[in-house]
Amino acid sequence: MNEIGYYRPKTLVEALKVLHDYASRAKVIAGGTNVLPDIQAGKVKDCVLVDVTGLDELSGIRMEGDMVYLGSLTLISDLAASRTIREQANVLWQACQVFGDPLVRNRATVGGNLVYASPAADTAVPLLIMETILVAESLGKGRREIPIGQFFRGPGKTVLAPEELITSLFFHSTRSYQGAYIKFGLRQAMATSVANCGVLLSGTAPFRTVRVGFGALAPMPLRAARTEMFLCGKIPEESVFAEAADIARSELQPISDLRGSKEYRLILADALFKQALRKALA
Amino acid sequence: MDPISKSMITIFVNDQPVQASVGASESLLDFLRQKALATEVKCGCGRGDCGTCAVLFDGRVVKSCLVLAAQANGKRVYTIRGLAGDSLMANLQDSFVQQGAIQCGFCTPGMLMAAYNLLRIKPTPTRSEIRQGISGNLCRCTGYQKIVDAIEAVAKKIVLVPDAPDSMDLPIPAPTDQEKAKAGYLLLGGG
Amino acid sequence: MSDHVIGQRVPKYDAGPKASGLLQYADDFTLPGMLYGKVFRAKVPAAMLLDVRTERAKQLPGVHAVLTAKDVPNNNLRARFGQSTDVGSQFEGLYRVLAEKEVRYHGEPIALVAAESPELAEQACQLIEVDLQPLPGVFDPAQAMEPDSRQVGEKPNNIASHFKIRQGDVDHGFAQADVIVEGTYRVPYQDHAYLEPESGLAWCDDDGTINIRVSSQVIEHFREVAEILKLPHSKVRYLGTWIGGGFGGKEDITVESYLALLAWKTRKPVKLTYTRAESLLYHSKRHPFLMEYKTGATKDGKLVALQARLISDCGAYSALSPWVLLYATVNACGPYQIPNVKVDSYAVMTNTAITSAFRGFGAPQANFAYESQMQKLAQALGLDPLEFRQRNYLQTGEAFATGWIYPRAIPLTELAQKAWSGLGSRGLAEGGRKLGRGLAVGMGSYGRLTFLHDTSRSYVKLELDGSAIIRCGVPDVGGGQGHILCQIVAQELGISLDRIKLHITDSQLTPLAGTTTATRQLMMSGNATLKAANELKKRLLIKAGQLLNVPMENLIISENRVEVGSEPKEGVSLVEVINRLSAEGEELFVEAQFNAPFTDIPASEVLRGQTHPDFTFGAYAVEVEVDEQTGQVQINKIIAAFDVGKALNPAIVEGQIEGGCVQGVGYALFEDMAIDHGVIQTPSFAEYLLPTAVDVPDITVILVESGSGVGPYGAKGIGEPPMVMIAPALMNAIEDAVGVRIADLPVTAEKIRMALARKREGER
Repeated sequence: MNEIGYYRPKTLVEALKVLHDYASRAKVIAGGTNVLPDIQAGKVKDCVLVDVTGLDELSGIRMEGDMVYLGSLTLISDLAASRTIREQANVLWQACQVFGDPLVRNRATVGGNLVYASPAADTAVPLLIMETILVAESLGKGRREIPIGQFFRGPGKTVLAPEELITSLFFHSTRSYQGAYIKFGLRQAMATSVANCGVLLSGTAPFRTVRVGFGALAPMPLRAARTEMFLCGKIPEESVFAEAADIARSELQPISDLRGSKEYRLILADALFKQALRKALA
Repeated sequence: MDPISKSMITIFVNDQPVQASVGASESLLDFLRQKALATEVKCGCGRGDCGTCAVLFDGRVVKSCLVLAAQANGKRVYTIRGLAGDSLMANLQDSFVQQGAIQCGFCTPGMLMAAYNLLRIKPTPTRSEIRQGISGNLCRCTGYQKIVDAIEAVAKKIVLVPDAPDSMDLPIPAPTDQEKAKAGYLLLGGG
Repeated sequence: MSDHVIGQRVPKYDAGPKASGLLQYADDFTLPGMLYGKVFRAKVPAAMLLDVRTERAKQLPGVHAVLTAKDVPNNNLRARFGQSTDVGSQFEGLYRVLAEKEVRYHGEPIALVAAESPELAEQACQLIEVDLQPLPGVFDPAQAMEPDSRQVGEKPNNIASHFKIRQGDVDHGFAQADVIVEGTYRVPYQDHAYLEPESGLAWCDDDGTINIRVSSQVIEHFREVAEILKLPHSKVRYLGTWIGGGFGGKEDITVESYLALLAWKTRKPVKLTYTRAESLLYHSKRHPFLMEYKTGATKDGKLVALQARLISDCGAYSALSPWVLLYATVNACGPYQIPNVKVDSYAVMTNTAITSAFRGFGAPQANFAYESQMQKLAQALGLDPLEFRQRNYLQTGEAFATGWIYPRAIPLTELAQKAWSGLGSRGLAEGGRKLGRGLAVGMGSYGRLTFLHDTSRSYVKLELDGSAIIRCGVPDVGGGQGHILCQIVAQELGISLDRIKLHITDSQLTPLAGTTTATRQLMMSGNATLKAANELKKRLLIKAGQLLNVPMENLIISENRVEVGSEPKEGVSLVEVINRLSAEGEELFVEAQFNAPFTDIPASEVLRGQTHPDFTFGAYAVEVEVDEQTGQVQINKIIAAFDVGKALNPAIVEGQIEGGCVQGVGYALFEDMAIDHGVIQTPSFAEYLLPTAVDVPDITVILVESGSGVGPYGAKGIGEPPMVMIAPALMNAIEDAVGVRIADLPVTAEKIRMALARKREGER
């Protein structure tokens, strides 16, 4: 029988206790923009929905020194409207502008977007190339910091234990970087990425730091490490970009699905990567 | 610390308390239509893809099919009928009628909520920003153009109050006329 | 007579109630103690249905009925699909309520459940067991026509219908041609995707009459439902709701036969509303067509021959496929004068989703092919595409390929030029994208086939206080079908719109007005209402003339008064005239019937002579930007120019054009219904993508008013035509931008990008 329960903790301590008690039966729900469609499709069964939206302390944008802290329940629309994010994390800010649609942005949370671990998640690539640290808390393991590069494990899979809750995330300001996020969907709103690409650059003649991320082009959001190494120290010019794009393609493992073939996704990767570089440098 | 699979909740729908027993996985949309009989909230897809079920919840316009009814327990939800006394919503409703923005009308309640959401945040949007603002709402009849016209006509009546903030790190205010004035703009002209 | 209401942008009758949220759509209505219906469906596309066991489902507490084919009094209806005229077996098809002995398509209804909650109904469905013996599916219509193909249904060689056009001698024509172009075009399924899913509620009266309150474009289906139940037609009543979008998808019976059966068996109210997934997976679609075209022209740019073979996939039951095919065939040559024509068309049955009516009804399919051909010919001849088309437009007094001499205005030269010049100066594409422009023209019929002998009735009644009541059984899909009747009465009788009450869609109490399909309601019910209003007007003017001692010809009715035209101050109130008429025992109501032009039923599959009351002509010019790296298309400008005869309410007319255009943009670029071995792979709006507000630009609408329509005041129908010619206009613009032509819709970014890659390979 399909038994679904609901629990709404009032405090973080209570939430962690519930997650600990129900462990793998617990399913955290925040904005619900992924969970509700899954319920409707019959994909959520025999579980306890742990509603964390009562935990006000998990929401908000805060800056300390050059470090930006986000509560995991911060809404995408708040990120999209935030001057702090626009100035200190512009690549993330760009991604939030093209995330879902305005009404979904009013409900979807940054933590939820990461934990759902869609390979196409819009905040994943920006947070990946900003080398974000996720803070997970649980009764069993206490507080631990997970570098985002180690967080994703495959479509819908992360390193989180069932009892763990992402409570916040933080990253260094990328104010001194130039960055761009390019999303390619089959339409201009309410679209899932067929492919997306984010880049962060510092120093441009030559490049001092280069970070490149791709979404929907592998089982999980991906940093293109070899591409980054190649570009480091290079002068920005089209021939370099072309060579870098060839390397980038070799780092990707796209699949064919309803939204696009594997071959087309590789073409998109090439195009979006070059567009992102040009946009960042513009 | 037992989870609840069926529970009695109260949601304040257009300021009226509605008490009903709900299942853990029941959506706010189902609650509004079936328990609160707020049939102006439409179900076009039930999974967040069309926007017909948009309502004002927790101070934000959201798709009510993406919210659990239980998540709204004890909270306030406003539909277009509940906001009919609000001058911005009344202006939008009138403008939709006058501009021919309503064909079959099934998307209209959600479109009105999306327009309301937009103009509360961005009172004087460009046409392109209006299109962005309603991009989470499908319409199959109008081609969107007269809906954009209707929202633009209302926006042209809005005059900015000088101390309007241009960026927000704060939650968006609740939907009273006083609070809207605080958010930085006033509506000229009657409903 | 001045146009004080006609021609004005007055708000629609239903707009206020819709904006307030008070208007009750089908699913918004409930009755105490009602049950919830659910349809149990086949999960395979082709099989022998050996047994259906419902005992376990029936035993579930709260389940009131589980019905299968054997519970249906008349499960196999030889359906005429709403036609009241017998037009021969070529147009009939089998309407089977529930699967019986066989399953012909994935999702075919097998059983019906009524239970006390939707959840219980769902649970009951899970307890129904079926024994199936799978059959090899027939999925490709071209293969299905082959002699060795398995027969899907009742039609030999799977051919549900076949039509021909024969004019002149095509071999002779091609021999004269200096240039011949050939092309094979494929157009896809399209889902109506109205935002209101199919829905209704049925209940039995104490005398056994079944009432069905349903979102339907055709309340005359009460006849079919009565025949399914073997009841007298008088014992089934439709109460149509204001419809949350139709587009032809609520033209066939949707939920109402199921509702009627469940209400009749349980004697309780039953509601049935489809989920979006049910709607996307199981209701009828636009027909995919395979179209092989060969078109020839002389070097001075005159068309001399056209040969076409059209194959439509009509799915597992023929539904309206013969009609759609007929329309496509009539449209196959477009609005062009071509001396030698040979067209053969086939509707072919397969084990796939049912295809039936959809806005345009066969015309958009043919238009994509013939306008693509026109573009290719213009290129081959080195002629400007506008100029080439202009040399070939049919002229007033010339005959279509069917031989019908067209008597009315064909302002295509003006429409095309206005649309094209509306694009203004050519801009520059941004960021490495390529700019392109395209044009397409076309025609769309309005009014049903003339051999169907279509009629509509409308009733207008004056109240003693000078207000008025209209009763007309016109389903309203949101296009102002009901409202415009109010505007006509307001215009003719001088009664302000807020004093007119409109009753629509009660199949027993409102005069039957026929279907809201085929872009027919303005012409049919508009004319019927105009006729009724004019008869009342005559009575009013005669009486007012007597009261004022003025000849009635000198009187006008305006703003609730009858006035002397030359002396507006001299007059009498409508109320006074009405009360005098009433006191003298004059009838203050008129029910009028309008008959469309009638022609004979076709004697063979060769189409000859007039088939439709009239056509509406239009042109689109578009400008796009195409990203050569990704294939992405951005539409910068769309200019639409249509001859609407007369715009009775310009806001409504523009709304039809803007909406039809964007639905066509979806068809052309976005809506990609994946189907695998008969199973649709796009069950939600997250996979089946409609254009959003940011995917389309503002559309500039240019209305031309030739006054030559057969609707009231010379109006033409505009519901369907705007859907017809946007896809080839976009394709022509995309080709202009990046030099590749895609022959199968939708033109996705991936198809463009892959075609560009192949082109570059070829050039290397």
